[in-house]
Amino acid sequence: MPPFERMDPMFYAISNFRRRKFKECAELCTSILEKSPYDQCAWTLKTRALTEQVYVDDLDLEEESISESLLDENAIAQTARPGTSLKTPSDNAQETMGISPAVRPVTQSGRPVTGFIRPGTQSSRPGTMEQALQTARTAHTARPVSSASGRYVRLGTASMVSSPDGPFINLARLNLSKYATRPDLAKSLFEYIFYHENDVRTASTLASLAVKSTKEPDWWWQFHSAKCFYRMLLYREAEVLLKSALEQQETVALYHYINKVYIKMDQPLQAIAMYKKGLNRFAGEVTLLIGIARIYESLNDLNESVSFYRQVLRFDSMQVEAIACIATHHFYNDQPEIALKYFRRLLQMGVYKSELFCNMGLCCFYAQQYDMVMVCFSKALALTDDSMLLADIWYNVGHVAMGIGDLNLAHQCFRMTLTYNNDHAEAYNNFGVIEFKKGHLAMARAFYQSSFALAPHMFEPHFNFASLNEKLGDLQGSYNAVRKALDAFPEHTDSKELIQQLRQHFSLL
Amino acid sequence: MVTIGKYFGDYPALTCATNGDKVFIHTPHKLSESCRPQSANVGGDVSLLNINQKVSSICAGNLNPSLDYDVLMVGTDTNLIAYDIAQNMDLFYRETPDGANAITFGTLGSFQDQLAIVGGNCSIQGFDCEGNDQFWTVTGDNVRSLALVDFDKDGHKELIVGSEDFDIRVFREDEIIAEMTETETITCLHPIDECKFGYALGNGTIGVYERASRSWRIKSKSHAVSIHSFDLNNDGVPELITGWSNGKIDVRNESSGEVIFRDNFNSSVAGIVQGAYTQPGNDQLICCSVEGEVRGYNSLTPQKGQTLMDINVEQEMIRELTQKKQTLLMELKNYQDNLSQSQKPLTEEFDKPGSLIPVNTQVETELSVQPETQESPAHVLLTISTNNDTIIRAVTIFAEGIFDGESHVIHPNANRLSSSLKMPLILPKDTPVDAHVKVLVGYKNCVHYHVFEINRFVPRFSMYILCSQLPVPEPEGYVKFTINDRVQRVCIWINQNFLLKELLQAGNNLHLSFMSMRNQTPLLFKMDQFKQVIIQTDDLDVAGNIVQSLATYLKIEDLNVAAHFPEELKSLNALIEKVDGLNSMRQTLTAGIADHSNLIRSMVVRAEDTRLIGDIKAMKQGYTELYHLNQDLLRDYNIRCNNHTELVSCLKQVNLVIQKASRLRVGKYKTQVVTACRAAIKNNNISALVKIITTGAS
Repeated sequence: MPPFERMDPMFYAISNFRRRKFKECAELCTSILEKSPYDQCAWTLKTRALTEQVYVDDLDLEEESISESLLDENAIAQTARPGTSLKTPSDNAQETMGISPAVRPVTQSGRPVTGFIRPGTQSSRPGTMEQALQTARTAHTARPVSSASGRYVRLGTASMVSSPDGPFINLARLNLSKYATRPDLAKSLFEYIFYHENDVRTASTLASLAVKSTKEPDWWWQFHSAKCFYRMLLYREAEVLLKSALEQQETVALYHYINKVYIKMDQPLQAIAMYKKGLNRFAGEVTLLIGIARIYESLNDLNESVSFYRQVLRFDSMQVEAIACIATHHFYNDQPEIALKYFRRLLQMGVYKSELFCNMGLCCFYAQQYDMVMVCFSKALALTDDSMLLADIWYNVGHVAMGIGDLNLAHQCFRMTLTYNNDHAEAYNNFGVIEFKKGHLAMARAFYQSSFALAPHMFEPHFNFASLNEKLGDLQGSYNAVRKALDAFPEHTDSKELIQQLRQHFSLL
Repeated sequence: MVTIGKYFGDYPALTCATNGDKVFIHTPHKLSESCRPQSANVGGDVSLLNINQKVSSICAGNLNPSLDYDVLMVGTDTNLIAYDIAQNMDLFYRETPDGANAITFGTLGSFQDQLAIVGGNCSIQGFDCEGNDQFWTVTGDNVRSLALVDFDKDGHKELIVGSEDFDIRVFREDEIIAEMTETETITCLHPIDECKFGYALGNGTIGVYERASRSWRIKSKSHAVSIHSFDLNNDGVPELITGWSNGKIDVRNESSGEVIFRDNFNSSVAGIVQGAYTQPGNDQLICCSVEGEVRGYNSLTPQKGQTLMDINVEQEMIRELTQKKQTLLMELKNYQDNLSQSQKPLTEEFDKPGSLIPVNTQVETELSVQPETQESPAHVLLTISTNNDTIIRAVTIFAEGIFDGESHVIHPNANRLSSSLKMPLILPKDTPVDAHVKVLVGYKNCVHYHVFEINRFVPRFSMYILCSQLPVPEPEGYVKFTINDRVQRVCIWINQNFLLKELLQAGNNLHLSFMSMRNQTPLLFKMDQFKQVIIQTDDLDVAGNIVQSLATYLKIEDLNVAAHFPEELKSLNALIEKVDGLNSMRQTLTAGIADHSNLIRSMVVRAEDTRLIGDIKAMKQGYTELYHLNQDLLRDYNIRCNNHTELVSCLKQVNLVIQKASRLRVGKYKTQVVTACRAAIKNNNISALVKIITTGAS
């Protein structure tokens, strides 16, 4: 008889739970419950163990689904003043002290690329349903259809598999009002329903019953009731509950959640104000500081954003996201040496990733430390076998090759890029440029066309196409293309000049 | 619904609510980042705000004094949103279960902060910039219009409330200081000058009050949508501007009601505001129509002595004067005819002279209470008779609040003419009525009649009949209080306010039983030698009316009473329980709807997806499912709508009970009841609520 079998099974189950052996714990509880089905202790422990197995921290980082971004009108202002809304990032880069897209590339949504990939940083708010569905199919940015489906449903099905003989608790038969008055059982039951069963509706009923059952308002229940409302996209209701919960008990999690609500309602300045209020209470709380920095970043106010990232580093010098974002900021601000320092700091901390080596390679190139460039890139290539990443690395190598004037190498690199990723719009654009230099005008045209078909948000292929057309004498085609370039980047000087010329031509005609 | 606000600092923006649950803002000045206007071109920018609920009222004002610009306040059926447009953020979002039918903005009484005052169903709330309700009171019915006016020139503003029970009430903070009864729902109120304000009713009447007395009023066939005051002719005195539902705009002199300017829109007027819209510092009158037409009017420049009326108006005046002349000539001719008739000798008995009646002819009126019979419901009978053989050809009665319109005409058949006429009056409310009666008196064959004008005062409690002989069952509910006045004075009050067959003589104590003619319920009025008054009735409303009337007559400033109304309290308990039930049901329904709409969202995306890849079969299937789901959603929505209307009506009832309970008291006790009840409801303390209603204090 193994020693643990002589232990009290309940004690052993608790011990397993504390050692995060949730599966064993749940099994033990099941056997206890078989003997005495009304053992509340074992029942609670089992719900907790099952919940912990599938628990996801839902405070941070959430993908916006297609249906929500298209079909919802949670934001009050449809066209808010620039700089006050996440939907209309300020298009005039100079005014917000940002960097023009000519220097720092932008994502589909018109925001500069970030140093740290988060859900939502790469995808856009599409204009139409067709755009949304098509981008999801072509690019590497598949998004969930709606927040009710997507990740949560997958978790739900996973939990079904773990208990093959049917669900542990039959939710439909549960007398919720009875459990709501028992705070010891209700909380674990709620979490089980919310995270494990993923039945938001039942969870919300339980939470609202529990909120009512206590005389004094209970912040925990208000918070979790708000979580249910948030999941059901009832943001206003969630906001009311979260505010009242904050009055009773200030916690960091509450601040994060209420700001998630404000961001959904597209009120970034309100969110920043709330974060700052939270910082008064929890001075130097890194997650709150990062929250502010992220919002400024998505508002295109990069200087503010970086200053908050720096504050983060003052409190936590190991914060990867902050270091990466500052490094990227320096890189695009023409200070590759400083960026290199930050990247090396990341490397020291053990972030031994091909992306990092790729970035370092580029920094070295721009900092004129040519001896290190190819070493970094070969390290980067050796470290990954993800085709998307390989494509990006080859593209960067090609970029370096173009920089040193080795067009043959560049040509080969871009070919490698396209082998790994057929949809690499930047590579097509650069191909076009190479072909143009070689004098293959028809080829160049074709490359430009496929480039802007894949990434309509980039201004470069449009402009290249326009200038090529202008040289070929197709003034109308050139005019159309340059208009599109200016849509993507209104301040682009070369495009402006070109359109001026074209207008003169047309007026002469 | 239209308002104007300076959301971006110095420059105003026109803000209107649309039918599609949206609010749009038109900024005439193109704004750069730094809020400086680059060019003042009218055209400007229109931006839309999504409210996602039916907008019931909007208002703009500088709610937060730390900001130097205005914020927009939007009231919907269930919520109030204060929204900072410049920063794209909410100041607050508050639930207002009583709805928000009207919003006004300003300082009220001695409150420090500027408040957004929201009128809902029977309740009025004032919110500060953080969304805390600083002010709460109840009123008689659904609030339709609000205005802040310095009613008694004490330097503090009073709140004027127009409600659906045809009353205009003036609140000095919590206390009602004046009450004026109108003839229809008060749809608009607007301050004009210091203590003057304009009003508009649902039946097309507009007018101006100066304090509690009406300066003038006029009635029109179409009804007034919006009123405003603006000094259009630049004479230093603002005029009353009215926008009508037929698209007419007229500007009237505030003291006489004389029209000084007119304009016409093609569709109904939506709202009237004022603001420096095209040039800074130069206020303009801006009128909007429902079809989106906006017109601005500058006020006259002072140096030119022109009038606003053009030549057509003068012509009209001439026409009017000619008409007047015509009538005067007619009258003169009549007199001449009569004179010649009377000089002729009388030939026959029946051939009475044309329109002459005996000099001593008098018309008498008498009021009496008639109990319910099989043919007619209970009523007050107005008997009009002449003292000789002349007949009454027709009677016109003009009295507010009794008839559907304001007046009633009786014109008996030619063969049933007699020298007396009976006219039943049914008084729907316990209000005193001044009836102006015009009687056409003459002989049967007359062409011209003499008009007698009589004013008849119908007392407040005319619909209660004294039944001294019959034993009346004693009602359970009562109000008990002591007054410091003699029985004689109370007797005089009773004689004045009840319709008694003979005047009441004062004894040492009073014991009177009345029967209400409206619903056959008894009303007992007792007063003993210790000056204790007991009013026994089951109806809280009646008791309140009597206490208020008595207190006004005896000039009692503060009066607390002991009230005992078991029936009312029982129904109040039931109401509160029902509200609880409805509230929890609403939550379940909301969750269900959210669930459904989430599902619909993903179904839409999936169905579109199949369409884009050309899988028509799957697409058809998807859309069919979507259709069914949508039907479910609609059904749920209908259930929720019903739930909501029921909830609103319950809350209204609760507010009404509080209002009636407060009417049982006078002066400071009255306000005390309201505030204490509010606190009890907030804490969900029903036993305290019952105690407050019974004793007047918690």
